[in-house]
Amino acid sequence: MTKRLLIVDNEDTILFALQRYFTRVGFHVDCAKELEEAEALAAYTKYDLVIVDLSLTDTGSTEGLEILRHLRSTRSGARVILLTAYGSKAVEREAYRRGADAFLHKPRPLAEIARVAEKLTGAFA
Amino acid sequence: MIQRLRQPGAIRIEFQPIVRVHEGRHELYAVEALTRGPRGTSMERPDVLFDYARRKGQESAIDLISIATAFAEAPSLTCAPLLSINIHGTTLTSIDRFTEWLLTSAASHGIAADRLMLEIIEHRAPWVIETFRATLDELRDAGVRIAVDDLGVGASNYQMIVDCRPDHLKVDRHIVFGCSRDPWRRAVLESIVTLARSCDATPVAEGIEDVDDLAVLLGLGINTVQGWLYAPSMPAPELAASPMFQAMKGRNP
Repeated sequence: MTKRLLIVDNEDTILFALQRYFTRVGFHVDCAKELEEAEALAAYTKYDLVIVDLSLTDTGSTEGLEILRHLRSTRSGARVILLTAYGSKAVEREAYRRGADAFLHKPRPLAEIARVAEKLTGAFA
Repeated sequence: MIQRLRQPGAIRIEFQPIVRVHEGRHELYAVEALTRGPRGTSMERPDVLFDYARRKGQESAIDLISIATAFAEAPSLTCAPLLSINIHGTTLTSIDRFTEWLLTSAASHGIAADRLMLEIIEHRAPWVIETFRATLDELRDAGVRIAVDDLGVGASNYQMIVDCRPDHLKVDRHIVFGCSRDPWRRAVLESIVTLARSCDATPVAEGIEDVDDLAVLLGLGINTVQGWLYAPSMPAPELAASPMFQAMKGRNP
């Protein structure tokens, strides 16, 4: 059965690259660029995996943690990979405390993100 | 995204016929205008679209855009006795002089008030009940029909019926679909029929997809129905040209 993936990032180029890659390897991919859009999608779709950027507005913002909190509070069984270009150790600890499955620093080769996704979902590759 | 949704043409409207089965004949009762977001986006699905709009505090704005778009596209469906449009309860209470806006907008497209049915949907209560009731009274006085939408699920409950005093009860697909195979669904439908009779309201079943469910509904006394058994929702020109619509439009109740 096709796995469902939600990618949340405010940068079009990253969104496009991730969407293209994961679609090619067999995921059904939805994309969101903001917190409310991601929450609305997650309210009506059971995702297997969510890849979310930590900051969706300004540098230092943490909407990704908010999405993680939302997913866990709604008992979503989705595995969650947080991506960040700025995250500190404290933020990483907080992400894991809130139930993140992986915390990756950007830039990261697509293949590496894919490896983590495969390990978490048992899909593709 | 919210700016994109507010741009002209972003919100699309599809129409779905509501059919009355009368003495074995299928007659066109109404067309319902259904909101769709931009194609190819996460907002294409109406549930996601309105959930997002609600989270952004823009539910009423999307309601008004949807209604204005429906009015602009509905003239090609003039043969339908009623045009049914959806609106959130909160929009009725949050938009100043809503009744005047609605009737003027409809009239500007040649749609008379007595051809309108307003389907009240709600995801959060309470609204300002005095304003809510006063607006509904204004609409009723103008000849607009009032329906409670999605009856049986979410916030479409007895409170909604008491507050809306509707002349139509639109029973949600969740209750209707599979009623021929599920005694629990039939029991709920029976109670809705009794309720509708007591309130002098017309029950309308949404989500009819097979003839077995239709037979159960007709047996229970629900003869106004809508769903894929008749037609999916589609843009106005497609619906107007569809053979089903062409055949049915001459048989209005």
